[in-house]
Amino acid sequence: MEPTVTPQTPDPTTASSTDALHAGTGRRNGTGLATADLITIGVFSALYFVMVCVATLVSTLFTGGFGSIFLPAIAALISGPVFMLLDARLRRFGGITVMGLVIGLFLFVSGHFALSFIASLVFPLAADLIARAGSYRNRTLLLVSYVVFSYGLTGPILPLWFMKDAYVASLEARGKDAAYIEGVFANINTGTFILAMTAILVCALLGGWFGQRLMRKHFAKAGIA
Amino acid sequence: MGSSASRTGPHTLDPRTKLVLLLFANLMLFFHVVLVTQLVMAALFLTPMAVEGRTRMASRFAVAVAALTALSMIDPDAMGVPQLHVVSALAVGVSMMLPCFMTGAYAVATTSASAFVYALRRMRAPEAVVVPCVVIIRFFPTVARDYRSIREAMALRGIASGAAAWLRHPARSLEYVLVPLLMNATTVAQDLSVAALTKGLGREGAHTSRTAIRMRACDWGMMAAATLPLVADIAGVV
Amino acid sequence: MDGSRSVEALDVRDVSFRYDLADADGGVRGGADGTPAALDGVSLRVAPGECVVLCGASGCGKTTLTRVANGLVPSFFHGGFAGTCLTCGLDAARVPIDRLTPLVGSVFQNPKTQYFNADSTDELAFPCENMGMGTEAVNRRVAQVAARFGVEGLLDRDLMRLSGGQRQRIAMAAANMLDPRLVVLDEPTGNLDAAAIEDMRVLVRRMKDSGVAVLVAEHRLAWLNGIADRYVVFDGGRIVRSYAVGDFLALAPDEIAGMGLRALDLEPCRRRVRALAAAGDEDGSGAPLLRTRGLIVGHDRRRRRPRFGFGGAGRGAGRSFRRVVGDLTLRRGLIVGLMGRNGCGKTTLARTLTGLAKPLEGSIELEGREVGPHALTRAGFMVMQDVNYQLFSASVREELMIGFGADDSDARSRCDAILDALDLTAFADRHPMSLSGGQKQRVAIGAALMCGKDLIVLDEPTSGLDRLHMERVGGLLRRLADGGRAVLVVTHDEELAAGWCDRIVMLDGPDPSARDAPAGVAARRRTP
Repeated sequence: MEPTVTPQTPDPTTASSTDALHAGTGRRNGTGLATADLITIGVFSALYFVMVCVATLVSTLFTGGFGSIFLPAIAALISGPVFMLLDARLRRFGGITVMGLVIGLFLFVSGHFALSFIASLVFPLAADLIARAGSYRNRTLLLVSYVVFSYGLTGPILPLWFMKDAYVASLEARGKDAAYIEGVFANINTGTFILAMTAILVCALLGGWFGQRLMRKHFAKAGIA
Repeated sequence: MGSSASRTGPHTLDPRTKLVLLLFANLMLFFHVVLVTQLVMAALFLTPMAVEGRTRMASRFAVAVAALTALSMIDPDAMGVPQLHVVSALAVGVSMMLPCFMTGAYAVATTSASAFVYALRRMRAPEAVVVPCVVIIRFFPTVARDYRSIREAMALRGIASGAAAWLRHPARSLEYVLVPLLMNATTVAQDLSVAALTKGLGREGAHTSRTAIRMRACDWGMMAAATLPLVADIAGVV
Repeated sequence: MDGSRSVEALDVRDVSFRYDLADADGGVRGGADGTPAALDGVSLRVAPGECVVLCGASGCGKTTLTRVANGLVPSFFHGGFAGTCLTCGLDAARVPIDRLTPLVGSVFQNPKTQYFNADSTDELAFPCENMGMGTEAVNRRVAQVAARFGVEGLLDRDLMRLSGGQRQRIAMAAANMLDPRLVVLDEPTGNLDAAAIEDMRVLVRRMKDSGVAVLVAEHRLAWLNGIADRYVVFDGGRIVRSYAVGDFLALAPDEIAGMGLRALDLEPCRRRVRALAAAGDEDGSGAPLLRTRGLIVGHDRRRRRPRFGFGGAGRGAGRSFRRVVGDLTLRRGLIVGLMGRNGCGKTTLARTLTGLAKPLEGSIELEGREVGPHALTRAGFMVMQDVNYQLFSASVREELMIGFGADDSDARSRCDAILDALDLTAFADRHPMSLSGGQKQRVAIGAALMCGKDLIVLDEPTSGLDRLHMERVGGLLRRLADGGRAVLVVTHDEELAAGWCDRIVMLDGPDPSARDAPAGVAARRRTP
């Protein structure tokens, strides 16, 4: 299975496609995004990835072994400015989706649960559609969009809900009584689930509001948003 | 990052194989495989790591597997300390996720940026995914350095930037850090665009790679070896 | 359109261009006060093997012309474009920019952001990969060009860990990967020391000799002596004069200065720098503020590597660094220049003197008392190379008032006085990030003055500046010193050092350009 790409020597003297003005920068790649847009998305995704790493760290500090349970909430709290500035710089469909998707890919490759990939596709896509409905300018819709986007990080915490099952299974496999653990986890499970999901909502609202405040205070004033 | 030339020797698996291993690790998590399967798979995952010279990483993971397995085997009721169930449950949980961490660490540590990007292209990933990935690999490591500069600038101005400041003025601290970071990001995005466009990143048509990736016998062998115990477990044979 | 219509590497015919407001230098760097024409009826031809230097003050249009030549204007930097630019026979403004890629190589000023890949070999291979060359061919080309540009020793390295000069050589090699017929350099030496500039000179000559046309937009002119064939002087978007090399070099220094250009001959500056460095601290005028004893600066990094590494773990990480510093006295009222080649520890010393880094050995006295890093950070201030990291507020006035209550009338009046002294009153309500680089520097200094700092350190304050702005920085240093502060300026700029410093400290010996390459730059090769 050798790479099957044939070398192509570009010939500068043939074909004058004057119609393709702004190509390379303005070419839409079938996704509505030009190369320069993709690079902008990449830079902001890198920053978002940094935020996710910080959130993982903080969440692990607070919750010990249950590492990533508050990861999406903390990430939502601090990533608002990144999200809002990306929207303001791009104002084009696809940015939010690609950012979520690429982060999902990096989480998957670095050993996170594969289902997180689905969450990082579905929620950002929905968020993108919501933001587009407001032409990436309507503040309320952008805030809603950010909240929806923030649920895209729920993937990494899903395995926590498999954990109890696995432990119960392993106890039963060893012929032990699983009553105690069932009891402990019964309320933790639903309780934590509701808590984690509500935390995301609250934190995303706060973070998004904070992001929009920074946009007005700094980036609009400095003329870059 | 990535000296692929020295790492594309006969012992390096194709990035696509590494992705398959990652998927397998996830399937293990999803289907709650039994302990035996977990141990067999762990041994399989650690083999290429060790063969490719990542012996320290492999041995650390091996110790982790052993310790977690031991912890998950304890019997809190028999010991009369039911609270230990939490520890034991945690051990089971972490050991479930361990295969993902193993395959992830292996993939990240042994794949050059060049090979990763080319693998994406070979798998027909759209440029809309490939280009941001390259940029993340390029830009992510510089953020830590930027953050350090910002912290120093704050110190010079007498603006507290330690843990205490983060707890007392979280919003303000975040603002002081994020504003320069984001301002810098917009500049970097423009400069990187200029650099990439003048070097032909926007060109339509196939983009190639300096790193040859190809599926070899060891790739197929690895996949087959990992498939057997997994399928056996899911089918309920074990 | 056929390529044979023009044999010129570049043929610019009556080109005018005006940046769209939103695109005026990204809006981040340039103060966008409306946009005047960046180019106004410019015509220029460059033949194969010819080296043409574009000079003139900042904002004169020379950078814009390089962007026209490589197709970034108008496809990436949008705006109103008129005229024709034939780059190697292609209509640069109308063909897709990737058609120009194999014909034009580009090198830019900022070595930190002009590479697209994290790994040096990836960066060299990048243009070939984009053109769809096969794996074998790409690697062959990388090896060839690396040998030609003397960067074999820099292959497979993390670009972030290379010095500015090394990165710029990689950038030169990357621009030549596709055997271009024209190479465009936009202020390529902005951040380089004398030795690295000398390397650039060798590389440009080698390109010329192989028939490549070279277009250089540059403030620092001295390094181009002997390789430039023509000098074109810009002003306000127009070409005001064009000189053959002989005529230009024959101009008297004050004629050059009169056009706002940097010196053509740095030898007088270098002599003065050497004399200042040799004089030492003999006269002892000025009250000593800070004194070092037996200082060794550096860092002792034990395997601190990025946690995120695609296969890069272990290489180049954990290198520690030591530099013995001769005892040094900084006095109030004096400007001390800190010079020496890239990587000799200038910035590390500056960070140590402002308490940002701990000395490995030795002590630092402040006003006669031995103090630790915290006291130094309270007393000193450093204007960083990238001043963007130092500005936090939404307006210039707020920036200066950080740490003071808004109702502190004493602070407010001091703030007004400082704004006035630094010519910033007109910008008091603007966002600092909407200002020009020089204005941002002054805002940072203003903030330092508000904090009552006694020691002001500036790290490369004149990189990429034209003569006028360089002299303004010099004047500002003088005023700071005259106000009773000690000023330390880390610089490669011989003109600044010779013109404004009272003393020079050579961190690595008497003459930076005469030193051997540091151990880390093993692959430096002057001649083939």
